Amino acid sequence: MKKSTNPLPDQPPRWADQLLEWFVAPHLLEYIQGDLHENFHKRVAKVGIARARREYLWAVFHCLTPFFTKRQTIKSSYSNQPSTVMLSNYLTIAFRNLWRQKAFTAINIVGLSVGLASCLLIVLYVLHELSYDSYHAHADRIYRMTMHARMDEKDINLAYSTGPSGQALLRESSGVEAVTRLRKEGAFLVKHGQDIIKEEKVAFVDSNFFSVFSLPMMKGSPKNALAEPNTVVLTKTTAQKYFGKADPIGQSLTLGNLGLFRVTGVCEDVPSNTHFHYDMFGSFESVKTGDKWLASGAYTYVRLREGHSLAQVETISRGFVSKYIAPEIKEFFGMDFTEFQKKGNRFGFQFQPITDIHLRSDLDDELEANSDAKYVYIFSVIAFFILLLACINFTNLSTAGSASRSKEVGIRKVLGSVRTQLVTQFLTESVLLTFFALVLALVLVFLLLPSFNVLSGKQFTVNDLVNGRLLMGAVVCSLVIGLLAGSYPAFVLASFKPITVLKGKLQIGGRGGWLRNALVTTQFVVSIGMIVATIVANRQIQFMQNKKVGFDREQVLVLHDTHVLGAKADAFKAELAKLSSVVKVASAGFLPAGHTSQNVDGVQIQDGARTATHRTKGYYIDEDYLPTLGIGLAQGRNFSKAFSTENTSVLLNEAAVRTYGFKNPIGQQISTVGDGSAGSKRTYTVVGVVKDFHFESMHQHIAPLVIFYGKDNNQLALRIQTNDIPTLLQKIEQQWKATTDNPFAYSFLNERFSKMYQSEQHISQLFAVFAGLAVLIACLGLFGLAAFTTHQRTKEIGVRKVLGSSVTGIVTLLLTDYLKLILIATLIASPIAGYTMSQWLRDFAYRIDLPWWAFALAGVLATIVAVLTVSYLAIKAALVNPVKSLKAE
Amino acid sequence: MRKTILGELEELVLLVVAACNEDVYGIPVMEELQQQTGRDFTISAVHTTLYRLEEKGFLSSSVGGATAERGGRRKRLFALTAAGGEVLLEIQQTRTRLWQSIPQAKLELMGLSANPF
Repeated sequence: MKKSTNPLPDQPPRWADQLLEWFVAPHLLEYIQGDLHENFHKRVAKVGIARARREYLWAVFHCLTPFFTKRQTIKSSYSNQPSTVMLSNYLTIAFRNLWRQKAFTAINIVGLSVGLASCLLIVLYVLHELSYDSYHAHADRIYRMTMHARMDEKDINLAYSTGPSGQALLRESSGVEAVTRLRKEGAFLVKHGQDIIKEEKVAFVDSNFFSVFSLPMMKGSPKNALAEPNTVVLTKTTAQKYFGKADPIGQSLTLGNLGLFRVTGVCEDVPSNTHFHYDMFGSFESVKTGDKWLASGAYTYVRLREGHSLAQVETISRGFVSKYIAPEIKEFFGMDFTEFQKKGNRFGFQFQPITDIHLRSDLDDELEANSDAKYVYIFSVIAFFILLLACINFTNLSTAGSASRSKEVGIRKVLGSVRTQLVTQFLTESVLLTFFALVLALVLVFLLLPSFNVLSGKQFTVNDLVNGRLLMGAVVCSLVIGLLAGSYPAFVLASFKPITVLKGKLQIGGRGGWLRNALVTTQFVVSIGMIVATIVANRQIQFMQNKKVGFDREQVLVLHDTHVLGAKADAFKAELAKLSSVVKVASAGFLPAGHTSQNVDGVQIQDGARTATHRTKGYYIDEDYLPTLGIGLAQGRNFSKAFSTENTSVLLNEAAVRTYGFKNPIGQQISTVGDGSAGSKRTYTVVGVVKDFHFESMHQHIAPLVIFYGKDNNQLALRIQTNDIPTLLQKIEQQWKATTDNPFAYSFLNERFSKMYQSEQHISQLFAVFAGLAVLIACLGLFGLAAFTTHQRTKEIGVRKVLGSSVTGIVTLLLTDYLKLILIATLIASPIAGYTMSQWLRDFAYRIDLPWWAFALAGVLATIVAVLTVSYLAIKAALVNPVKSLKAE
Repeated sequence: MRKTILGELEELVLLVVAACNEDVYGIPVMEELQQQTGRDFTISAVHTTLYRLEEKGFLSSSVGGATAERGGRRKRLFALTAAGGEVLLEIQQTRTRLWQSIPQAKLELMGLSANPF
């Protein structure tokens, strides 16, 4: 076919053309495509259609080079200028714009900085929680050996292991590099010269403790400091407390009844991110650790050799049960090992990575109350949400604010501004805004740090904030936020068509509307969820505080460390009892709240031929204890001096009666297992049953309790009856000072009781704070949205007013839109919050039902806050004279 | 205008444009090149070179002449600029100087005729 006027029959391949059109930049496309087509027709004439098409394809492929794909930029006119000039121009304009819209800018900055500040604080907290024990050299190879057993269908999970197990492991496993042990023996009254100070944080450790844990020794030898009995290593602060500037090495201290200790070393204070915090480390040799596997215990840490697997060590530890524990079973439980196992009882050891202890370990007798990974997750999620809310807000407000700038965009475009420049302009503004917010956030964090420390129970300093990567991260993060949050309004604005905009028509109508509504709804979902969580947590805490605990916790004064009185204790008690405002005095080493002695023993019950053993907690009390605390008797009698047989008498609580299966408890015989020595096995007769009282926290059901007759003079409990407590305390202190020169310390039972739920209170306070923040941020978001929509509907409102609509009618019209959003948010938030909080409540043995009204209340609260926020704008819009709003076009 | 070294293809294309009496576009340049050198050139290579020469200031371009074969698309027409002429002259002078410095006998010894013009 020769030069055809009809181009259709021999066209180049369609898809090759499409490829070309897609790939080649528009300003080059026309000419190259024209040339290609022209050449194609020539080739068709010369070599035929098939070959021409192939050649065409080939030629198109040759065009797929960077040269052709590069889009035209307005380089020639602008890009030759140094970019700093443009940047400073962007900054100037940005400052002017931010300054002109002061209210908007303020709302925007405040919202974002509140979000950033709370996020920073949470990140600080979470990072600290995650860093526990990771600073030790070879932390990845250090494990804690723990003991787990099942006896009488009850699981026992202990944070410590039996005394000899660590050394046995070191002997028998080639994979173990070092084993170090720690024992705590409670508090000590430490005597130095004339001063006596109570030290709660005393541990007794093996001599290699400081080579397993990275606690640098400042003075003394890390290896040999604790090799001998009665030697002690002090932390820096403690050494200063006792010896000031003098050299502590070689000095001596008296540790309670353990006698004189020589100071052989000073170590750095234990870092806050460690799962134990001790001020004094005595040598392990100074205290007795039994050599029976079933009647001794020590916190045992194992460091593996490099490259050795934990599995091998675990296998060896499994062998310990039959090798060492089985022979002792007979002695302690009076049955042989196979019979013991047949009853479903077992023993075993486990190993936890040391870095997991703080967040993942919840065993009996932990060295300190550990945290929970759950809270780290919860707070991370909260931080994320708060930041998300703040960003949403930021986007929303910026978009809303930009509505008033559409004319500016139009003019800029007409004057030759290109898209990139506009986008850069708006991004500069939003990044600038985020940096202002970051600065404000840092100031906020600085101001809030002390109260946050109280709330979180940590000791953060400004250094933690400024040092290290946190600040860097914050800067990078706010840059990213600025770019992300700014990009939506930036691109929307930059895409305005100058003609329509200048004609006075806004383009961001319905298109972005659903998005903005969705964002605000999300904010309210989070806020309402947080409000529900706060209400539920508060209710639960109130419930625990107010629940009848089985004893009268008001007006009970507890004196500490009364064992130091020794023989004078009885005389002192008698003196106190004489005071007019003291009703009764009792020895109360064991108390249902706060510091208390602990006693756990196996209790055997003879039921016909069968012997059942129950691990039961025990109390040692005197005859005045029950009346002093106001614990009631269900059956039988209290201990009494009138009986000479009280040493073999025992009281049970109702839970114990149920567990032991006594139908008629009075007169029943029980015997204790003890520690295996002949003297510790004794038989008792039940003389009374006390009503159940909460001697542990509400997390647990009331457990069986055996109450023995005896004096535990560690503490004294005083039932008092006075309105003038200071005077009474003064009198008692005088009395105390006259008897001993040991420090005088006291507490009130109800305060000790409240303290038990401190962590729950902290959680609930944190929830409240963050709920408040979420609501605040959501309100700012709503305000932004409302400002935007009312601005858009100015004309509509004007027309409505002209046609006779009342102010109330218009306000209602505007409000209904937002109320709809909140209703939807309540509907979404309720099931999520309900589920989460019912999971949280499961941790409590005694708990409230999920209050249904919490959801309604949260919804109503959100509504009220929203109405307050929006009504200002709505009323303002409704009051505007329609002439004003309609004349502007 | 900065002094720019021209590549071989650039020099050839510039010469072809200079040789034409009127404004030329991609296709004639490509055909002329093929005819003169006997080598195949793709349209994309020719276009790239033309644009590059324009960027360097040796060519100027205008738009014109749509035909049916081109599907109504216009041509990008190129013409030599003064700077382009200068650079061509400069190249020629350099070459001549270099030619003149070749000893006469040398090429004859190799059996080659040494007449460049």
